[in-house]
Amino acid sequence: MMNNSFAQPMWSNGPSPGQFYNFMGGNAPTQLPRELTTAGPFGTKHSTAAITTGSSVVGIKFDGGVLVAADTLVSYGSLARYQDIQRVFKINNNILLGGSGDFADIQSIKRNIDQKMIEDQCYNDGVIMKPGELASWLTRVLYNRRSRMNPLYIDVVVGGVDETGKPFLGNVDMRGRAYNDYVVATGFGRHLALPLVRERKPKDRDFTFEEATNLIRESMKVLYYRDTRSIPQYTVGICTAADCSIKGPFKVEENWTFAETVKGY
Amino acid sequence: MSTIGTGYDLSASQFSPDGRVFQIDYASKAVEKSGTVIGIRGKDCVVLAVEEIVVDKLYEVDAARRIFTIEKNIGMAIAGLMADGNFVADIARQEAANFRQQFERTIPLKHLCDRVAGYIHAYTLYSAVRPFGLSVIFASWDETDGPQLYKIEPSGTSFGYYACASGKAKQQAKTEMEKYKFADMSTDELVQSGGKIIYQVNDEVNNKDFRFEMGIVGRETNGVHFINHASWSQLAIEAGKAAKTADGDNEI
Amino acid sequence: MFRNQYDSDVTVWSPQGRLHQVEYAVAAVKLGTATVGLKNRDYAVLVALSKPPSELSASQRKLIPIDDHLGISIAGITADARVLSKYLRSECLSYKHSYESAFPVSRLITNLGNKMQTTTQRYDRRPYGVGLLIAGYDEKGPHIYQVEPSANFFNCVAMTIGSRSQSARTYLERNLSDFINCSKDEIICHGIHAIRSSLPNDELLSKDEGASQLNITIAIVGKDQPFKILNEEENIFYLNMAKKRGASNIISKPEGDDDDNSSPGDEPEPSTRRDPLVAVATMENQ
Repeated sequence: MMNNSFAQPMWSNGPSPGQFYNFMGGNAPTQLPRELTTAGPFGTKHSTAAITTGSSVVGIKFDGGVLVAADTLVSYGSLARYQDIQRVFKINNNILLGGSGDFADIQSIKRNIDQKMIEDQCYNDGVIMKPGELASWLTRVLYNRRSRMNPLYIDVVVGGVDETGKPFLGNVDMRGRAYNDYVVATGFGRHLALPLVRERKPKDRDFTFEEATNLIRESMKVLYYRDTRSIPQYTVGICTAADCSIKGPFKVEENWTFAETVKGY
Repeated sequence: MSTIGTGYDLSASQFSPDGRVFQIDYASKAVEKSGTVIGIRGKDCVVLAVEEIVVDKLYEVDAARRIFTIEKNIGMAIAGLMADGNFVADIARQEAANFRQQFERTIPLKHLCDRVAGYIHAYTLYSAVRPFGLSVIFASWDETDGPQLYKIEPSGTSFGYYACASGKAKQQAKTEMEKYKFADMSTDELVQSGGKIIYQVNDEVNNKDFRFEMGIVGRETNGVHFINHASWSQLAIEAGKAAKTADGDNEI
Repeated sequence: MFRNQYDSDVTVWSPQGRLHQVEYAVAAVKLGTATVGLKNRDYAVLVALSKPPSELSASQRKLIPIDDHLGISIAGITADARVLSKYLRSECLSYKHSYESAFPVSRLITNLGNKMQTTTQRYDRRPYGVGLLIAGYDEKGPHIYQVEPSANFFNCVAMTIGSRSQSARTYLERNLSDFINCSKDEIICHGIHAIRSSLPNDELLSKDEGASQLNITIAIVGKDQPFKILNEEENIFYLNMAKKRGASNIISKPEGDDDDNSSPGDEPEPSTRRDPLVAVATMENQ
C-alpha cells in the first residue's frame, strides 16, 4: 500500500526500525525473483498445470446491472471433489467476481483483493473500487505474472456497476488478456454459452432482467449436459445499483428421460 | 531533579545523569499541547472522542482528522503531531494487513499495539532519528475478545485501559473519567459520556471554536469502526452541550 | 531562550516540544509570492501571483500541472517543488496504469504527506521548503488541499499561502459562503480579487495592468474540464471581468470600499458583512 521509504539503510547487519517479520535479522538486499536466479536451461520450470479447478463462469449484462453465474464444483482432475464451493464472490457493493481455473490461485488473488477492500474502508473517504478499476488491476497483475513465466492459472469474470449505476462486465484471463462485452464466459462456457447468448441479443437494446435470467438458466443447463467437469448446482451473483448479492444455490432442470430412447440403455 | 536537560538533551541516544532521556520528554511536551483525546471502554463498545482544535474557517469539516480506521473493527486516535500521526496510522495499517496475509484473520488488538509500540520505541533508541511526538490510542471490538482499549506513549510504552486520555486537558479528563463507571455502560450511555467529558474539559477561553469528533466500534455497530457516525455523534454532541450549559450555571 | 541549541537538526525536540527546523521550513513558504486556491460546486481554481526576478527575465512558474484531474501551485523553494511534482506525477501515472482511472485526490495527498513526514524525522534529510496548494477533481467533486513543509495537509474550502497572503485570506473568509454557488466565471473572479489584495501597495495604485510588473496566472480543473492553465487571452479576459465586477474590491486597508462598481451578480454587501476574523492555525496547536 504505502511507501516506507528510507533514504538508505542506516547501517548494515543491524536492526532497522519498521522491519516486518524479518526473522533473519539484518537488512536483506532486494532480491531478484527466484525464477530469474535459479539454475536450469530456462530458469525454474513452473508447472502450468492447474490442480484443483473450477469450470465455467458465465456473465451477462442487462439494462440495470449484471448477472454472474458459476456452478459450485471444484474438481480434482476428473474427480468431482468439492461439490459445494462458492465460485462467485461479492467483492464490495459494486463488484462481483466469478473465478474459474486453478482454485488455489483464485483464493490467493481474492485474498489480495479483499485486502484492497479493507484499504478502501480505512481511507474512509466514500470512494470504493469500481469494477473497471479492479479489472484493470487484475489485468496488470496477471500480465506481469505471465511475463515472468509464473502465471496465475485463472480465468475470471469481473462484473458490477460503477458509481453512476452504469453496468460493467469484463473477462480477464491468465495471460492478462482483458475485454468487456455484454456477455462473457470462461472455460466451456466460452464455447457453449457465448454463442447461445449472442444469438438471442436484441440488436438495438440491452437485455432485460428476465431475459438475462432465462439465458443464465439455459446456459447453466447446457453446460451441465455437455461439460463433464460440472454439476447441476450453481449460484448466481446479481449486481445492480440497488443491490449486490449472491443468490442460490439453484438446481439445473435435468431431464434424462431421453436416455430410454438410446439403444443399449 | 532538573527538568531542563542542558547538555544531555540533544539526542535520543543519551541518558541524563538522573537516568532520563530528555528527547522523549520533550516529545511528550508536543503531545501535551495537542487537543484532548479520550478513549472509554463500555460493556460491549469502545468510544474514541477528540477535541479538534485545529479549526480554521477555510478548512473543510474533515481537515486535520485525528481518528483513523486501521482495520474493519479497529480505530485509532492520536494526540500530538499530525504528520507523525498519519505516518503511524499507515504503519499500523500495514501491520494489520501483514497479519491478515499470514493468518487470514483480523489482528488481535494487543498484538497490534505491541507491534506499533515497538515501532515507536525503536525511534527513541538512535540519535539519527527523533522520537515520534505522538500518543496513540487504539480501540477495537470483536465477538471473542469484546471491547479493547490500549494507549501508547511517545516513549513506546503501552498499557491496556478501561479509560484513558491524552493531550491538553489530560489531567482534567482523567479526573472527570473517575466519576463514571464505564464498564457497565451501554453504547448510548458511553457515547453520551464521551461527549460530556470532551465538552467539559474544553478550554472555553482559548479553544471555544472546536470540533467534536468521535470514533465508535462495538456490538451495535456490528463490529465495524465508524468515524463521526451521524446519529451517535449527534447524541454525544447534544449530551456534551447540555452538560456544558448545566455546568455553566455553577462555575467550575 | 534555548532556541539556538535545538534548532540545527530536524531530529532534535526543543524543551517546549517544538521542532524548530520544521518551523523554519514552514517560514520558507512565506518567502514565495502569494497564491490562492478556491472551489465551487464543480470547479477548483488556482490563482498565483508571480514576480520576475528582474525586468529582463520571465517570472517563476507557480502553477504546475500534475495530471488531467489535478494540478498544484507552489510557494517557496522551487527546486523542492519540482521534486514533489515529479513524485505526484509518477504516482498519478502509476495509478492510472494499474486502475485506468484517476487517483482519488485525498488518497494521493495522504501518500504525499507520509512521504514528506520521513524528511522531518531523519538526521540526513531536511523538510521540503515549499508549500503546495492542490486543486483536483474526482468522483467526490472538486478539492483544494494545502500541504505544508511540516507534512501536515488540510482539506480546504479555500486557502492562500505565500507572502502577504493575510489580506487574501481575509477576502476569502469574508466571501466563503458565496463560493459554493458561484458560476465558473464568478469563482475565477473571486480568485483574482483575493490575490489582488496581496499586491504590494505601489502596484495597487497603478490600475493599469500593463504597467504592473506582476503576473497573475490562473488554472482551473473540474467537471468536464481537465486541468488547464489559462493562456494569455483568457487571462486578460478574466482580469478585465474581475475589474468590471469591482476593481476597488481590494482589501489593502482594513475597510475596503466595495460599494463602487459592484455589478448585480455580486454578493449583497452592507449589513451582512462580518468583521474579518483572523484564524491562524499554528503548527503547535495539534
